[in-house]
Amino acid sequence: MNFEIKSEEINKFKEISQEEKDFRIKNLKYFNNIGLPSKKLEDWKFTDLREIISNNFKKLDTFQKNEKFSNFKILKDFEHNYIILLNGSLNSFDFSFEDSSKIKIENYTEKNLKYEDNKNSLVNLNHALFTNGYSLEVESNYKFNKVVIIYNFFSENVENQIINKKNKILVKKNSELHLIDYTINKSKFVCNNYEEITLEENSILKNISLQKDRSDGYFHKFSKNKLNKGSKYNQLLFSSGLKFNKLDLEADLLGEDTECNIQAALYLNQNQHQEIKTRINHLAPNSKSYQKIKNVLNSNAKGIYQGKIYVKDIAQKTDAYQLSKALLLNDDTEFNSKPELEIYADDVKCSHGSTSGNVEEDSLYYLMTRGLSRKESLRLLINGFLNDIVDVIKSNTIKDFISSNLEKQIYEYK
Amino acid sequence: MKNQNINTNQEYKYGFTTDIENIKAPKGLNEDVIKFISNIKKEPKWMLDWRLKAYKRLKSLKEPNWQKPKYPKINYQDLYYYSAPKSMKDKPKSLDEVDPKLIETYNKLGIPLNEQKKLSGVAVDAVFDSVSVATTFKEELTKKGIIFCPISEAIQKHPDLVKKYLGSVIPLTDHYFATLNSAVFTDGSFVYIPPNVRCPMELSTYFRINASETGQFERTLIIADKNSYVSYLEGCTAPMRDENQLHAANVELVALDDAEIKYSTVQNWYPGDKNGKGGIYNFVTKRGACRGKNSKISWTQVETGSAITWKYPSCILQGDNSVGEFYSIAITNNHQKADTGTKMIHLGKNTKSKIISKGISAGQADNTYRGLVDISRKALNSRNYTQCDSLLMGNKCGAHTVPYIKNKNASSTVEHEATTSKINEEQLYYCNQRGLNQEEAVSLIVNGFCKEVLQQLPMEFAVEAQKLVGISLEGSVG
Repeated sequence: MNFEIKSEEINKFKEISQEEKDFRIKNLKYFNNIGLPSKKLEDWKFTDLREIISNNFKKLDTFQKNEKFSNFKILKDFEHNYIILLNGSLNSFDFSFEDSSKIKIENYTEKNLKYEDNKNSLVNLNHALFTNGYSLEVESNYKFNKVVIIYNFFSENVENQIINKKNKILVKKNSELHLIDYTINKSKFVCNNYEEITLEENSILKNISLQKDRSDGYFHKFSKNKLNKGSKYNQLLFSSGLKFNKLDLEADLLGEDTECNIQAALYLNQNQHQEIKTRINHLAPNSKSYQKIKNVLNSNAKGIYQGKIYVKDIAQKTDAYQLSKALLLNDDTEFNSKPELEIYADDVKCSHGSTSGNVEEDSLYYLMTRGLSRKESLRLLINGFLNDIVDVIKSNTIKDFISSNLEKQIYEYK
Repeated sequence: MKNQNINTNQEYKYGFTTDIENIKAPKGLNEDVIKFISNIKKEPKWMLDWRLKAYKRLKSLKEPNWQKPKYPKINYQDLYYYSAPKSMKDKPKSLDEVDPKLIETYNKLGIPLNEQKKLSGVAVDAVFDSVSVATTFKEELTKKGIIFCPISEAIQKHPDLVKKYLGSVIPLTDHYFATLNSAVFTDGSFVYIPPNVRCPMELSTYFRINASETGQFERTLIIADKNSYVSYLEGCTAPMRDENQLHAANVELVALDDAEIKYSTVQNWYPGDKNGKGGIYNFVTKRGACRGKNSKISWTQVETGSAITWKYPSCILQGDNSVGEFYSIAITNNHQKADTGTKMIHLGKNTKSKIISKGISAGQADNTYRGLVDISRKALNSRNYTQCDSLLMGNKCGAHTVPYIKNKNASSTVEHEATTSKINEEQLYYCNQRGLNQEEAVSLIVNGFCKEVLQQLPMEFAVEAQKLVGISLEGSVG
């Protein structure tokens, strides 16, 4: 399938300024020139999206339709605030545990219309065609009482379509926000997401991403993060359950004493393809970054980790660490990694490690001598391997919720 | 004493030129030049055809540009592709007939061409610009059935072996510089170790670029037949010149069942001056194939010279239970740039590979480790261990690590670790306290950092390499 988008698509956007229209057209031109990324591009070396899309979709339309829905069940496991997104657009929200004067949430509108060529052509595609999204702002000196769950709900109407959505989060000085990104989807479609996160001085953002069920979704997300002095960013990723998922995360550590933490526990099964690509730019002294990516791969799954740490010459005393570990359960699985360091400052501590292999026979044998079956032993070991990431979560209720979610997936192992 | 030693070596010690009459091919790259080279070497027709085929292919290839160190465009038409000392036209039969000036040059370099240096027990093939000038210890090697000669001689005397293996590891169509080499290579060494023979001495080739505006394109082919062993050393130097000179060599190794090849390089081409002017572009393709069961290829390299080093000595582990090893030290100072590493391609079952890479970067230099570990679906029970450490001196230099790791089966294990740091202040302080000056202390600590690799080198080279490590980093601290 040759995926090209006609410029008429832009005309469907009625209420936009001429400036925005030009911006969209420019981006679309660029995208049509390059097309969907293929493995000829260094950043997509292990993920040929062009091939993946053409093998799995006979047609792919751009999503336009708006719809409403009535009964939506929110989680009862623990008290929380929520934002509901339906097919990417802001549907409703509830901040009953918070001081609402401190929170601003609205539909996304594009303010920065400066055109840039992007290494990742999907970003240009997003700029050209985005239909919806949200923007969330937290005022200074405000600490959230409860976690905010963002329910990302996709209806059946998105089948064989591509959704381009955007979201923007701004956490102002000395504030703290905890999010859970919770995706619920049963359709086969493509979601191209663009995210911009800005953390002002001494602010904290913690984000957990997970997926409710296994689904046929093809997700791509480009996330651009800016960390100012003393701010902390924490991102935990759990088994997506998606057919295809690529997270392309870029973090600029602009100020001193910033911290960036990215951890993932992924259990991939049945032809799933997941890639985590990160680029952490240490641009100021005394910043820290930590990445730990754990993959368990089963039956035809493919896992990829491409991480890059860049340390600018003035970013002395940087402490950066990357670790990727993978367990391959079958011979038809594949794990590729490219942990990269680019360092221009000398007084730094930068290291990375990457391992991949099978479950240790000795450990299995030990568990089996205690009376567990081979399958049970394996599940226990996989659980132990991945749960290490869950332990990072401080709240017990959330930890239990994530843990049981993960276990449910591991118990599918046969 | 040690102090003195360093001082006398302050500058690039091999920077002299030898004033010698040369025969050159006309400038430029075209079919006529290739025919000229082939003709002067009295090559058979199949060889010329092979070269022309490579040249044809070359015309459709583009220079790669993904590497980290960028360089100004090379004008391939403005180079001499063949340059040889005039006196070599009718090849001398023994060392007595070799131009004394050449012998003197090699004596200056400390290369034992004279048989009186027999004690050192190393057989040497010396390559001066485009031709091999002398090969020592021939008789002794011939007794064992070992062939060690210039490749131009091998093409004439052992065409079957050359035909069978030349281009079998680095095909004609490989990439721009390898193909360029296939078209215009001038000389290099050829080694064949017959079955069940353990080569009694180290074999060594010494490369020297002398003439200006020439590129050096040598080709080395080493074949270790069943159950044989060979250790091969390679050294290189060049005069100090303001221009950048191109060195694009191809090295092919083939190890058959139970054979082992150990290949060591001490690369000390002229690195350019303190401001980054001049120096050699060292764009080399080195690849070994472990064709047979239980075969082993081990690469050891100490890279201290060249303005730009761009090479990845690789192992293709085809035979079951074969082993590939890569030990590397890359030191860059001033404006030097290095982009080096290895590829370990696991195809056979139970194959093992080990990569130890040490990068040291000082001044305004850039040092990149780039490597690939690829475990294919059929390479069951394979194992890889990679360790790459970088040391930075000063905040104007860069150290980069770009490993590609692919694992396609569950029974194989891949481990990779890398660190980047600077010289430990406490260690420096400790050494200073014991009376070592700053430079001696740095040299000592760096030698310790590189120990794992230096240990892999044969005795004669290890001493030289250790000194080289110290010299290369002079003036980088303090």
